[in-house]
Amino acid sequence: MGQKCDLLHELEAAIPSLRRYARALCAGAALGAADDLVQTAIERAAAKIRAKEPTLCEDNAARLCAYRSVTALVREKTGEGALSKPSAQHPLIVQGLAGLPFSERASLLLVVLEGFSYDLAAETLGVTRYVLLAQLRRARAALSPLDLRPFTSSDRIRRASAYLRVVK
Amino acid sequence: MNTSFDGIEEADLHALVDGEISPERRRQVEDHLLQHPEDAALVENWRRQNAALRTAFEPIAQEPPPLSLRNAAARNAIAGPPPIETGATHWGRPSSSRLVRRLDEAREDRRRKAALSSALMLLAGATFAGVTVYALTRPGSSPPPITLAQGYVDRADMDYLTYARDPKPVDYEPDRYADLLSLMRLKVGFAHAPDLSPVGLRLLGGRVTPGLVSPAGFLVYEADNGARVGLYFERAEAGPEPRVAPRVDSSLTAVEWRGSGMAFVLIGSLGSEAMQIAAERAAAAILAPVAGVPPRRLEGVSP
Repeated sequence: MGQKCDLLHELEAAIPSLRRYARALCAGAALGAADDLVQTAIERAAAKIRAKEPTLCEDNAARLCAYRSVTALVREKTGEGALSKPSAQHPLIVQGLAGLPFSERASLLLVVLEGFSYDLAAETLGVTRYVLLAQLRRARAALSPLDLRPFTSSDRIRRASAYLRVVK
Repeated sequence: MNTSFDGIEEADLHALVDGEISPERRRQVEDHLLQHPEDAALVENWRRQNAALRTAFEPIAQEPPPLSLRNAAARNAIAGPPPIETGATHWGRPSSSRLVRRLDEAREDRRRKAALSSALMLLAGATFAGVTVYALTRPGSSPPPITLAQGYVDRADMDYLTYARDPKPVDYEPDRYADLLSLMRLKVGFAHAPDLSPVGLRLLGGRVTPGLVSPAGFLVYEADNGARVGLYFERAEAGPEPRVAPRVDSSLTAVEWRGSGMAFVLIGSLGSEAMQIAAERAAAAILAPVAGVPPRRLEGVSP
């Protein structure tokens, strides 16, 4: 009983990072739908905890289970390919992210954004460490052409002015 | 890069960026980067990617989770899905837990009260508006009506009071009889000045005046005793029905009739009998040249 409660609390504590991961995996699109996916993932993980599934004996078991669920749900929803291009108001990195295939996007986000180790990320995605590194390498290569230099104040002004229009 | 002469691979650069490297290997990779600026630029680019990703999505983890996600793990599976929040995009799952049902009932109750309150306010407003309109428009509070000419008799009355008692009551005297008839034919559409000398009335002349709805003719006759009588006529297509009996007031008697598409009013200060006779004579004189029928007997009353 005590272990179940701990797992449920662990799941609860993972909600903010799960939302961040789901939103990033959808490349900033479908905000409400991303939250719904997280909710479904948590409900599935909670159901597994209550059913005492043996796979939940490892460390971070509930959290990993939720991440796996989110990944699977987003893959179901968006498919394996790139997403439709977000609007120009999204940051450059988000636009680049949307252009990546799903597996590369998930690998990059689990390692960079969620701080997963290579082994944990590979396990979450159900791939080997070697495959994960290959996906990570391809993702970074695809994003390399983006001009991600830190913004200077003049850059910010230039970016802001891109949204201004003369209306009269 | 794949493998350099010092044994550093691209995987080591990724591991350096991702913190997946041992301290000893880190020193080796950093030494390598000092010697190879192109690899150092690669690593720098990846670090910028990492920083950009964190900057873009970290704020989401700092937001408070929406109501639908709070306690989602601890929620009893039998209780069903969470409440649907306003402002969030959901897939329309109805709420069913006891707490949510209570919330829904409370919301419904508030909605009913608000609707009732709105209806009462509308009713009160409508009542107030109705009372205000009644108070402003009831007969007792209305200003005294302005007396306007309601018929040909009123117009004739006004013309008589305006012109007939003047020393020179007409614009056209008998010496310009042809001009008078020409003007009346043009403006009024009727040009005839009946001869009332058989009843003791001499024509002084006439004028064209504003009528009830169109220009009207006004002829003035004078009796031997100086009493004056006016004959008012106007096109009668749109005019009101003629009076059945002559109107008699304290000083004037008016006899009204229709003929030849015109409305005629003979008005003057003679007695009602004399006015009746004069009116019959005028009507006969007007009708005789056109149809050759005897004049209709005009109704009259004694004062």
